[in-house]
Amino acid sequence: MEKKPIIEFKDFSFKYKIQSKATLRDINLTIYEGEKVLILGPSGCGKSTLMSCINGLIPFSNEGEITGSCKVNGRETRTLSIFELSKEVGTVLQDSDAQFVGLSVGEDIAFSMENEMVPRKEMIPEVEKLAGTVGMEDFIKALPFDLSGGQKQKVALAGVISDKVNILMFDEPLAALDPKMGVATIELIDRVSQDKTKTVLIIEHRLEDVLYRPVDRIILMGEGRIVADTTPIELLNSNLLKESGVREPLYLTAMKYAGCDISANKTICDIENLELSDDDKEKLIAFFHEETPEIKKEPGEEVIRLDDVTFAYEHGKPVVKGLDTVIRKGERVAVVGKNGAGKSTMAKLITGIHRPNKGHIYIDGKDYKKSTVKEIGEEVGYVMQMPNQMIVKDLIKDEVELALRLRNISEEEITERAAEAMKACGLYSMRKWPVDSVSYGQKKRVTVASIMALGPDTIILDEPTAGQDYRHYTDIIKFINKLNSEYGKTIIFITHDMHLAIENTDRAIVFADGKIIADESVYSVLSNDEIIEKANLKQTSLYMLAKKLDLSPEKFIEHFIRYERMVKSGE
Amino acid sequence: MNNRFLINYTPGSTFLHKLNGTTKVIGFIAITIAIIATFDFRIMLAIFLLCMAGVASMRPNWKPIAFMFGFLIVMNGIIGSLMVIVISPESGLTKTGMETVFWSTANGRFYLSWELLWYTWAMFFKRVASLSSAMLFVLSITPSELAAGLNSIKMPYKVCTIVSLAFRTIPDIARDFTDIKNSMMMRGVELEKASLSKKLKQYIIMLVPLLMSSFAKVENISNSMDLRSYGKCKGRTWYSEHPATKGDYIARGGIVLIFLWCAFYIIFFRNMHAPLVDFWCPWVPQEISGYWF
Repeated sequence: MEKKPIIEFKDFSFKYKIQSKATLRDINLTIYEGEKVLILGPSGCGKSTLMSCINGLIPFSNEGEITGSCKVNGRETRTLSIFELSKEVGTVLQDSDAQFVGLSVGEDIAFSMENEMVPRKEMIPEVEKLAGTVGMEDFIKALPFDLSGGQKQKVALAGVISDKVNILMFDEPLAALDPKMGVATIELIDRVSQDKTKTVLIIEHRLEDVLYRPVDRIILMGEGRIVADTTPIELLNSNLLKESGVREPLYLTAMKYAGCDISANKTICDIENLELSDDDKEKLIAFFHEETPEIKKEPGEEVIRLDDVTFAYEHGKPVVKGLDTVIRKGERVAVVGKNGAGKSTMAKLITGIHRPNKGHIYIDGKDYKKSTVKEIGEEVGYVMQMPNQMIVKDLIKDEVELALRLRNISEEEITERAAEAMKACGLYSMRKWPVDSVSYGQKKRVTVASIMALGPDTIILDEPTAGQDYRHYTDIIKFINKLNSEYGKTIIFITHDMHLAIENTDRAIVFADGKIIADESVYSVLSNDEIIEKANLKQTSLYMLAKKLDLSPEKFIEHFIRYERMVKSGE
Repeated sequence: MNNRFLINYTPGSTFLHKLNGTTKVIGFIAITIAIIATFDFRIMLAIFLLCMAGVASMRPNWKPIAFMFGFLIVMNGIIGSLMVIVISPESGLTKTGMETVFWSTANGRFYLSWELLWYTWAMFFKRVASLSSAMLFVLSITPSELAAGLNSIKMPYKVCTIVSLAFRTIPDIARDFTDIKNSMMMRGVELEKASLSKKLKQYIIMLVPLLMSSFAKVENISNSMDLRSYGKCKGRTWYSEHPATKGDYIARGGIVLIFLWCAFYIIFFRNMHAPLVDFWCPWVPQEISGYWF
């Protein structure tokens, strides 16, 4: 059967009005009806711009210069309005919270019908049907405030997936979800793509998570150009991933470390159905038995101790109960678990924003009951997820000095301590720059420096790498690890990102339903099915690889991490 | 989350909750006009009783309602009335046409008359009646119905959707603000101990990150609306606006009666038999007040 092209770019370039250089250059790309395509690439490579060209946001909301041609369903997009295009192209945006504009699930699904002036009589059954296709039929009256990120995303999909829409685009669908919800989303997208009249485009930089279900084709982008337009197998076999700043799947890294030949393997894209030759198995087992230096860390003195801590907003409804844990100096700890399970409540308790209803919290061995939030802030610093949530001053130097100025410290000492903090964060040479002029990663450093200036022993980081591609992720993590190794700071990560937890922490505190259900090394957590299930985590591909080799997953993951740290420290 | 700041996000199940947005909006307008246009204690009393019966029928959480009334009593009932009594004690005479002084200072600068007390009481009661009608309205309506209701009385729909979007984002913004406030407190901003002017300054500083994070959201929201045909047609239908039911027709009948009564009152007292004073007072005889009843 002749394949019918549905999206065609020909010598297409685009330049935003406010920018001097073109964001998209020489795009030649054809996508056929019924295909499921992954558009892959680091932040700023132009993948979101490409999407905006297809759904009409360009040129409708973002003006700029277009050259070349972009056709959707045979019609030039420039000649169509965004409204005409929206009948053929449905887009699920990245921020699942912001795109939820209705005040209930039903209202949000009905939003486009309301705008098309569909009579209410027809709208009601249609909303029910659409809610059913995404599995939200029992939540039609639910409020946005009561939904998880994954549920909001389902609603967003239901809102754009009417019968006529035959192209569906997902912009970074995994960005704000916990691991288990991410799996569910990939499954949902796969179910939608089973309908061969629907073409599905996924924009992501998390290759491993997307490949959990097969895709037909991967378009790799870099700096506004298409770097590769190929099958997943060929892409995984090439060196393009590394060069483009996209992370390759962990099991693949392990197989490469072991020296397996992956080029001949037809099943390489799919860990679940991955077939290993006897030779591969032998090599992997040999890899497993290689000597690696033990990751040793002398347990430091106690810096934070939670002793049977319970906290409730409303009497009789505790949010967290019976928290018991000790955090020692120089440790790196991951706090994981699904949203609302108590992770951020624990952070708020440690920083004194909330105080325990029952139990005690000791900082440096002292019960912090009598200390103010300001005093605790000198021992434990808290860095919020988005830098913009913290930055209040125009200049980097002023921002870093802010906390010191609020503490009646002499001018010389302020300058000295701020300089030290900025040096530690690699910002000293930029100290007179306006905060607005620096990149996201540098802003993150500014917020960390503004906390560091107070000289806390412990720094709590809330999702430090959320929404960042692999290159920025690596930058941020390297910097945080330096604070740990060179400045001896105790680091607590609150995160969904299990890669981050595996590679950069010594211990995980796992929350489920307000309780700590595990407090041990990350690899034992990730090899324990019961904990994974309860805390909305998911097994890593290393776990599945170990199972295929009949090796202990816990030991295998541990070995992999040691090996990787050895390789990285050698770099 | 429901019924936070008194606002309902999901419709309740009582008679008044079940009315549609249009009925609720025109009902509120009718009562407001009645209060402003008549300013007669007897009508205020009737409206107050009617509204409170309505509020009670919705079985609300009384705590915030009691708080609002308490606030009104302190601000308006006590402070406001005292101001009137101190500044213009003669208003008893000018408003009602009579003055029965029962207490006065030696120089006669300050004095109390029964009519003055009646006037301040009635002024205060007007506020009470307005508040009770506002309560009735706020408790019965959801933001989506409000948007649909405003649209049905010819308010442009772009204005109406802004109303419902505002309610959608208020809880998010409140949460962001708490987060920002917490992080600033950890950095050393003291809000508990600070003086009022210092506190105000601190809060203004915190608006910077709040605005930054809100602006970022605005673009996403508007893109998501554009992609779903917002603004394509001249009009818009509303998912939350159910067609009028029997209850709506009964309620609308009541609203028409209020309108008719207002019209009658205004025509009768303002045009045909204009009273001699502004204010009805029960013991002022008809020859002085000019009120026919």
